[in-house]
Amino acid sequence: MAASRVPVICRFSQFTVKPVCAASSCLISEPRTSYICNYPNHKYFGTSTGLSGKHYNPKFKRDRKLKYIKIDFPNLSENKDVEDMTQDEIRAKMKEKGIQPVRPWQEKPLFISSTSDTFEVYVPPEGDGKISVTTAAGAKQKLELIGKKGKSMMAIRELRQFDEDFEANEFAEEAQQTYINTHEALIKLDEDRLHQLVTERAYPGVVHEVKHKTVRWQFVKSLEPPRVVHVRCTNMITKENVFAQVTVRFHTQQILAVYDRFGRLQYGSEVVARDVLEYVVFEKHVANTYGTWRIHDKIIPDWLPPRSAIHRTYRKEKQEESEESAETKSTEVLQKPATEHTAAATN
Amino acid sequence: MAATITKLLGLRTGLVLTATHRPAYQRTVNLRDRMIHTTSTHQAWTPRREPTHFLQYNKKVYPPTPHGETERPAFICHQKTNIKYSPQKMWYVACLVRGMKIDEAIAQLKFINKKGAVAVQETLEEARQLAVQEHCVEFPSNLWVSESFVGKGIVFKGYRRHARRRFGKVEYKHCHYFVTLEEGEPPEHYYWHRRPLTPQEMLEEWLESQRRRIIPGAL
Repeated sequence: MAASRVPVICRFSQFTVKPVCAASSCLISEPRTSYICNYPNHKYFGTSTGLSGKHYNPKFKRDRKLKYIKIDFPNLSENKDVEDMTQDEIRAKMKEKGIQPVRPWQEKPLFISSTSDTFEVYVPPEGDGKISVTTAAGAKQKLELIGKKGKSMMAIRELRQFDEDFEANEFAEEAQQTYINTHEALIKLDEDRLHQLVTERAYPGVVHEVKHKTVRWQFVKSLEPPRVVHVRCTNMITKENVFAQVTVRFHTQQILAVYDRFGRLQYGSEVVARDVLEYVVFEKHVANTYGTWRIHDKIIPDWLPPRSAIHRTYRKEKQEESEESAETKSTEVLQKPATEHTAAATN
Repeated sequence: MAATITKLLGLRTGLVLTATHRPAYQRTVNLRDRMIHTTSTHQAWTPRREPTHFLQYNKKVYPPTPHGETERPAFICHQKTNIKYSPQKMWYVACLVRGMKIDEAIAQLKFINKKGAVAVQETLEEARQLAVQEHCVEFPSNLWVSESFVGKGIVFKGYRRHARRRFGKVEYKHCHYFVTLEEGEPPEHYYWHRRPLTPQEMLEEWLESQRRRIIPGAL
């Protein structure tokens, strides 16, 4: 019976299964490829492995796997920044590597070469002080101004104890030069020079949004001579450690154009000169022999009219938490706030 | 410092130098000859694990466009480094999105049944977000993929057993993926040299080929 068996050509392999010997006692051994039909998923996932590179016999899959020596290489795609990781993740990671937790770093950087605030801020009179004295508001404003002027005189006297040659008129000219130098350093983004001209408190505000931009700035002329309007002295920690703050009024004509990284105009114009009225606070650590007058703040009054619109618009991002902003759609196109050093008010 | 080290090692300048008459200022121990380094370990050279140059394009500031000329379109370069995927396989995915609009590219990648497609899609989405937030792009949909290519990352070496106590090398490859998004509409033909020719162009090309041929024995 067995002898009469026709050679079977296996569908899946290249070789033919030859008939086994015809002896009566001889058992018909199974062909080597018999597992193919025993494989339960054969009907659906045949042995045509094609290009997948897998062996057609899943029987020794585990053995083949064991041929590979398992190595632990780091997971490079996981987030590398410690700041992005949660506390538990950091803890698990450190535990895994057997690292002791570090002591918390309890140092706080402290600048003592400048103050962190403007003391008794000068409030510019509305409408540039042109309000009539006969009106109630005008009379009140005038009275306040006189009171403040007295205080300023006292402060100048205190300032002269340290800086004998201080003259308000001379200082105003000097301040204007500092103001111009600051802008020129800002255009070049000369950080070392800026630190000489600007206090540590004002520095972040000055360089905000200036990186990777082209700024064209020009000082055309001074419309009115610069004038000291407000002087204050404050002591810090000890009585002798005195800081002086002087507010100077500048009424000038300037040209400003801001271009983005690709040379497209973002703000202002290179041909139109604009009148600018500004109140700039200068500060000096007068107790320090080597102290210099540096820009400390710029006063932006509440009554300031809105700034001119920018050329490009942008999409306002969704605010988290607040429900009110969720109602207003994110597609709202808004005007971008002007850059830091732009004109405050115009005539 | 050098003096302390020589003292520690029991070296003396007199011992190191030969009997030749050298001036006093030359009597120093060259620590490099002694194979001792005095710098800290963090200054030692280490292999670079990530590409450094590609993102520098994001810092380039172009001069203002003169009045009346067409404005330069905004662009943004972005990368994803050391993805656990073969660079050879990633190439197919990188080629797919080239010259597509950003929305189209992301939509297409969603239907690619490959591990690399996920990484590419993530990179494109990150780049699109960065373009709007940091690179003066107003509309996130108004971008197209102008560059998309793959780099080779870290390759870890592993081993596998063979018969008769032999070993084979296994390479566990990583790849970098780089993409540049540009503002505006994509060009009609990304590969200009592969564009279908117009009848006029075909004629010119044929004429040129005819003129260029060399006829043996001709005048």
